[in-house]
Amino acid sequence: MAANRKDVPAIDSSELKELTDKLMTACHILDHEGVTDGYGHISVRVPNADAFITIANVSPGCVTRDRLIMQDLDGNYLDGAKTPPNEWPIHSCILKARPEIVSVAHTHSKWSTIFSVLPIKLKPMHHYGKFLSADGPPIYDGVGLVRTVDRGNELAAALGKGPVVLLRAHGDAVVGESVEQVIERTTRLAMLGEWNHLALLHGEPKYLTAEELKVYNEDQRFPMRGWEYYVSRLEAKK
Amino acid sequence: MATQRFETPAFDSSELKELKQKLLDGCHVLDREGITDGFGHVSVRLPNTDAFLTIAGVSPGCATLERLVMLDLAGRFLGGVNAPPYEWPIHACILNARPELMSVCHTHSKWSSLFSVLKGGLRPVHMYAKFLPADGPPIYPAAGLVGTVERGNALAAALKDSAAVLLRAHGDAVVGTSLEQAILRTIQLAFLGELAHMAVAHGEPLYMSEDELLTFSADQAFPARPWEYYLSRIRERRSA
Repeated sequence: MAANRKDVPAIDSSELKELTDKLMTACHILDHEGVTDGYGHISVRVPNADAFITIANVSPGCVTRDRLIMQDLDGNYLDGAKTPPNEWPIHSCILKARPEIVSVAHTHSKWSTIFSVLPIKLKPMHHYGKFLSADGPPIYDGVGLVRTVDRGNELAAALGKGPVVLLRAHGDAVVGESVEQVIERTTRLAMLGEWNHLALLHGEPKYLTAEELKVYNEDQRFPMRGWEYYVSRLEAKK
Repeated sequence: MATQRFETPAFDSSELKELKQKLLDGCHVLDREGITDGFGHVSVRLPNTDAFLTIAGVSPGCATLERLVMLDLAGRFLGGVNAPPYEWPIHACILNARPELMSVCHTHSKWSSLFSVLKGGLRPVHMYAKFLPADGPPIYPAAGLVGTVERGNALAAALKDSAAVLLRAHGDAVVGTSLEQAILRTIQLAFLGELAHMAVAHGEPLYMSEDELLTFSADQAFPARPWEYYLSRIRERRSA
């Protein structure tokens, strides 16, 4: 049983092992793909509970099993290492506002950061951006780390029903219905940011329209292809 | 005279062993050279047949002998793992339209994706572009993955008799009369895209004219040289 709640499994229980393994792999992928540096975190909702697991004040690239933490959606400590990430409200407030969301990533991605401070938006110029709207993700304007529930709620409001919000002069928050989807979206957002940056040096690119994004979204999806590939790259590194 | 057709060998027959290994090598080279990510595929035609081999629903970097599929030019399953790439019509429709071709690569190359949404086209700034027209490869403009024969035929029509076509907001399709040539061209296309991008940041570069490209095309080619080099780079990784 978790330290503080009888209805939530312990963080080191066998029923959460697959999920915590996946969370650590996801962290290592974002690090290996160059999206995170010393900062950033990913969370995953504990199934059927108002609780989530994230990394305990450690870089995604350095995370280990003994540096995971479980909190409830009010930020109360439940289990694991006792040092929540500074910005735990990013996770708790978004997971509270969006019951269908299973995972949230927060990074200081170079490419999200650059488009968070430009007058031009990060719009889809490749079908990798088909999860975005044609006019690109919204931007959360607030200054300061998202360390309070007030700020977390403002961020969740800026995100709205979308998959991504850019945090001005800070980075991004990306959500998904699985850890794999969050990783796919976070890596693709970074690719799109880089490609948009390259394209804009030549003038206005021919972006995908809302209608064209719809065409792409009607095509079949391959949610595990990219995940398998990124995992293979981690294994090649070992 | 019509090309003589032969019976298609069985997927597991020993005569396909070498071709399968070459296909895997080609996939791993594209991954090693940073052209493909989780997506993209390479095909190779079985000589003198209406059949081709490609990878079965797997990233080129993760492809193995156990994850190949053989299809005919109508997309019918002939052997291997029955998980053809969703965009098999890229290969089938191009190989059908161009009997002289042996291989097709489809990638989401960063540099092809970039020039696919720009107005100026990917114009040649290096002699590696001698396989391209002076105004750059044609662009297939339609949205949507090439998952139907109709879209595949539209793509083959956009490619026409060129060596490469850019797919807008998507990537490229590059062809060759050998697998080695298709792989080499795909890598060179990315190199050309990067060079053209960097050059434009300085102002309008001195692009190569059609005559100049022809002059380079008339020179002797050394197709085995880069293939040997790229193989050496994947073997380095495999033995690491």
